[in-house]
Amino acid sequence: MGGMHGFGPVVTERDEPVFHARWEGVVRAIMQRTNGRYYNLDEFRFAIERMPPDDYLRAGYYERWLHAVETLLVEKSVITREELAQGRMESATPRALAPRASPPDIQPRFRPGDRVATRNIHPKHHTRMPRYARGKHGVIRRVYGPFPLPDTSAGGQATDWETCYAVEFESRELWGAGADKNDRVCVDLWESYLEPEEKR
Amino acid sequence: MSDAHHHHDHDHDHGGHHPEPPSEVEARALALESLLIDKGLITSDEVDRIISAYEHDIGPMIGARVVAHAWADPEYKARLLSDGPAALKELAIDYPASTRLVVVENEPGVHNAIVCTLCSCYPWAVLGLPPTWYKSAPYRSRMVSEPRSVLAEFGLSLTDGVAVNVWDSSSDVRYMVLPERPAGTEEWSEEQLASIVTRDCMIGVAKPRVPAESTTR
Amino acid sequence: MSIDRSVANLVGDAALPRKNGELVFQAPWEGRAFGLAVVLSDKGEYEWDEFRKNLVGKIAGGPEKTYYERWLSALENLLLEHGVVTEEELSKRAAEYAALERDPVF
Repeated sequence: MGGMHGFGPVVTERDEPVFHARWEGVVRAIMQRTNGRYYNLDEFRFAIERMPPDDYLRAGYYERWLHAVETLLVEKSVITREELAQGRMESATPRALAPRASPPDIQPRFRPGDRVATRNIHPKHHTRMPRYARGKHGVIRRVYGPFPLPDTSAGGQATDWETCYAVEFESRELWGAGADKNDRVCVDLWESYLEPEEKR
Repeated sequence: MSDAHHHHDHDHDHGGHHPEPPSEVEARALALESLLIDKGLITSDEVDRIISAYEHDIGPMIGARVVAHAWADPEYKARLLSDGPAALKELAIDYPASTRLVVVENEPGVHNAIVCTLCSCYPWAVLGLPPTWYKSAPYRSRMVSEPRSVLAEFGLSLTDGVAVNVWDSSSDVRYMVLPERPAGTEEWSEEQLASIVTRDCMIGVAKPRVPAESTTR
Repeated sequence: MSIDRSVANLVGDAALPRKNGELVFQAPWEGRAFGLAVVLSDKGEYEWDEFRKNLVGKIAGGPEKTYYERWLSALENLLLEHGVVTEEELSKRAAEYAALERDPVF
């Protein structure tokens, strides 16, 4: 969503309740109980991303959560569409996912201060590189991880562990001359999203 | 919410809705509240408002305590900036192992703010649940591309020469802003310091303010 | 509405149950009991510290099993001591709720 146009002012609600309606709290509770058991967080996010664009924009925040949880639990055969529609269980509960193994020791390719270029990729699969950061030049600020690569983790496959970096971009690099020359945006990016910047 | 009414002729033929009787302890809680209302000591609205205020504000109090301690103790601040979860543990705050917390420091020349453009990742372990505006399309789309105009809508204007640094939480790292300590708070206790650190300061859309009428205590 | 930090920062065994920084209530009555205790203190029925001491005493020993059962019991004791309510009216009213003769406030 970063940098997309057509959205107006930020609307704040004074003293807003934590949940606007009880069902929102229920959805949140269901998500917290099933996350990490029947699906992982990347799959959850990808399920939301897969929503048809009109539905996504029209749906409220917790409606998207509900959609994702329903979709994933059906896809993982935890429940069936018929059970969802009828509100009644018909089969036994499957076993939970095995917990993730701990990350291996990996040598980071980049260090703080290194200049990098982000790859200009537009994959159909789930990825965590925001569109606005693709094909841009930045500087490594921090080194994290290794973290599971969301691109493969979202498909429920075996874990690809990669070093993750906080990469700093000048706002002018991202948005053009209209941006303030002093401003920066830092994004967390996985190593396979990055290339060393060619020496100029 | 209405006050309790004494129903002698409770009609049980309303389409099959039979409430479960309350447990013993629940019945006592109900009884206590309704007696206090009958005696004119409280209203149920007052109780509602308190519950909602605490649900809303209690999360950020954890972050506020951390900020106040960092302001009061420069060595703690250094540890906080270099290893967030370990520093939180020092204050007996449990941070979930599944995410990381990175605290970014505001300085006279740099103002930090956090956003998650891809979804709505938020440092809930120190700030509680995120406000609706944080999860909204306008905030998520505009904070990276026009942060100063978003900050202006929050009533925050920055002097020329101050750089805005926006952190987009696209991984499992969660960011929290350590605001600058305002002038005039040099003699304050940590509790007083924590009282001016709001959730919005730790997201980066506000700055802590010293109330006009405060005096040194 | 501002919140009282001495309430929010109860420590040790007396700490309010939280998950991920949020208050946790296992049932609506727990939230009501929480709210009642705070409102009455705000209105000056008792000092917050008096309630806190009662709560700590309940936690140290008593038949109650959960945090908010102890909380409610501490509140009842305080109000009985101060003569705000009597055990008789409390029991009678509770029996009415238990017998579904009254609609719950919440």
